[in-house]
This record gives sequence, C-alpha cells and structure tokens, in this order.
Amino acid sequence: MGPLPRTLELFYDVLSPYSWLAFEVLCRYKNIWNVSLQLRPTLIAGIMKDSGSLTAMRFLTVVKLEHPELLEKVSRELWMRIWSRDEDITEPQSILAAAEKAGMSTGRARELLERVSTPQVKNQLKETTEAACKYGAFGLPVTVAHLDDETYMLFGSDRMELLAHLLGEKWMGPVPPAVTARL
Amino acid sequence: MGPLPRTLELFYDVLSPYSWLAFEVLCRYKNIWNVSLQLRPTLIAGIMKDSGNQPPALLPRKGLYLKNDVRLLGQHLQVPIHLPKDFFYVIFEKGSLTAMRFLTVVKLEHPELLEKVSRELWMRIWSRAAEKAGMSTGRARELLERVSTPQVKNQLKETTEAACKYGAFGLPVTVAHLDDETYMLFGSDRMELLAHLLGEKWMGPVPPAVTARL
Repeated sequence: MGPLPRTLELFYDVLSPYSWLAFEVLCRYKNIWNVSLQLRPTLIAGIMKDSGSLTAMRFLTVVKLEHPELLEKVSRELWMRIWSRDEDITEPQSILAAAEKAGMSTGRARELLERVSTPQVKNQLKETTEAACKYGAFGLPVTVAHLDDETYMLFGSDRMELLAHLLGEKWMGPVPPAVTARL
Repeated sequence: MGPLPRTLELFYDVLSPYSWLAFEVLCRYKNIWNVSLQLRPTLIAGIMKDSGNQPPALLPRKGLYLKNDVRLLGQHLQVPIHLPKDFFYVIFEKGSLTAMRFLTVVKLEHPELLEKVSRELWMRIWSRAAEKAGMSTGRARELLERVSTPQVKNQLKETTEAACKYGAFGLPVTVAHLDDETYMLFGSDRMELLAHLLGEKWMGPVPPAVTARL
C-alpha cells in the first residue's frame, strides 16, 4: 500500500462562481492525485458582506450530514442554476429542483429542507465558516492542503497548478484526461 | 513565413510583486510562443486612484495571505522574490514614482535594456540578491535627470491611462491582441488561460529553455 492520501479541504459557497471553477478542477483531480477531497459548504456572507445563499448552503450542510455521497452532485446542480442558467437558488422550490436533479427523491429533499433552520444545521454551517476564517480566509473558494509537515491555505480557483507543485503531483491542465478511479 | 506574431502588452509596476511574476513567465514564453511582448511601465498608484480599488495588503487578512502566496509562487515560478522587511514603508511611503518614470525614459531611449533594468529594480525591492543591468553609471545618471521632464511624466501618465481604458483595477495586466478579439487578463495567474486563448502550449511556469525564434 502506498503513502496515505493527503487531505484537501475545499471551502465553497454556490454564490461564488470561482468556487465552482475550483470545485470542478478538484473533482477531476481527486481520482488522479493521491488526495482525499473533503467538501465543506461555507457561507461567504460570513466572510464578507454578501447574501442570497443562506438557505442553499444550509441545505448543502444537511445533505453533507445525511447523504455525503450526494453532496458533489447537489452542489453542482445549484451552481448550474445560478451560474449556468441564471435561475434562482433562494426559493424552496429552486432548492428542491436542484436536489431532485441530483437524484434525490422529492420526499427526502423536502424532509432535508425542513431541517435547514434547526440549530444543528445552522451551527454546523457557522462552524465551517468559522473554520475557514481561522485558516485566514477573506473570501471563497479556499483550498486547505494538509501535507506531512505543513498546512497550506490557497485562495481562488487559480492556485491548482501551485497545489500540484506542493503535492508533488502532475498538473495536466484544468481538464485532465479521465482516469479510472484509484482503488 | 508563418502567421504574424500576436501582440501581448504587459502593464506593470515594480512595486507589484505579482507584476514581477507575470513579467518573468512572459519573458520566458516570448521566445517560445508566436507573440511579440510589449513591456509597458505603469504606475499602480494611478490605477488604484482611477478605479477606486485599494492595494490588497490594506485588508489585514489579505496582507497575511499575500506574504505566503508570494513566497510560494516565487518558489514555484523560480523567481527569487522575498517580501522586504519594511514592507509597508516600501509600498506606501516610498512608492515607485521615480522608478517607473525611470523605466519610462529607459523605454524611450534604450528599449533593448528595459527588460534588464526592470528586473534589476524588482531585485532591489523584492530580492536580497542584486544584479547589474549593464547600463553605464554615467548614462543611468543622465536618464535619471530626465525623469521629471514633462515628456517622461506624460508618457507614464498615458501608459497608466491606457491600462485604465482596458479596464485595469490593479496590476499586472496582460492585454492580448488576437485576430478577432482583444483580451485583458489581470494577475500573474492567468498565463495558462492566455496560452489557451493563443492556441499555444502551456508548459508550466518554467518551460524548458528553447532557442530564440528567428
């Protein structure tokens, strides 16, 4: 068995287009590099004065708690709404539509949506946002790379080639050839 | 004879560490890609004033981030960049007006030396190792005397206004003139994208040295 995978934490908010860019590149590389990608739904409003994604990010927070295997898809569907089709992400209907498109049943999506205003979910989102701030974030996306001897906080979607350099991995551009998943 | 080289304009200020990173990468690629690199000494203070933007270091968390970012990029890009110990004094008190006027007159009189002199100035501000740019002391003194002349002051002003017209809110700015379209790219981290727009190959920030295009 080879060396342990290095952990990458991606703090993101669907309100942030650059977060989407970072997300897609890291999702491509998570099966190529020896890394473990942890997605961390965060509230950019908690880092700077911005608004509009509170419900969506709380929804992603509860998705991560209950169906972590769906977090990538639901996140992507929310970005597709706001940053690809110029659709709303603030109304409950919008969030349900995104969840359904990601493969969640309407019933289950509705249940999770009801939980977004519970203390557990509100606090979890708050904690994640505070964690990003503790790492020194002044915006999103933020990628935190945990290496053997050092932890790096990288801001923006344009630090992926540098990330590869720090990991000692190969950078093959933003659209690497698809590779069979690591076993 | 192949297609005409595409023009890249690099607007830069030696006060800007990211400008140095952009400069070095573009200087490496100017002999690899089919481009003509035009160096344009600009005053970042003028860009900030005109756009209403602020230097990133004024926001405390950005300032902290910048220190690490510049250090890591310096390693990755193989540029010997080190933050000066009196960083705030250097940036905000001393500034770069004379330096950028000097580069303006160098561009007017000795354009072939502009790359070297620019690098020398960055080395002084941003690196502990200094190199000589190859200009005689006498000639340098002559040019230095001209920095406060209307011609030089106006030229720097015009270049800064040109950057603003392209939409600059900071430096470095690379303007790529393609057949059908002009692109303004901000930052030292848009070079892979630039390669994509040019239809050229990106070989990382330190490409293998290639014999100059003939």
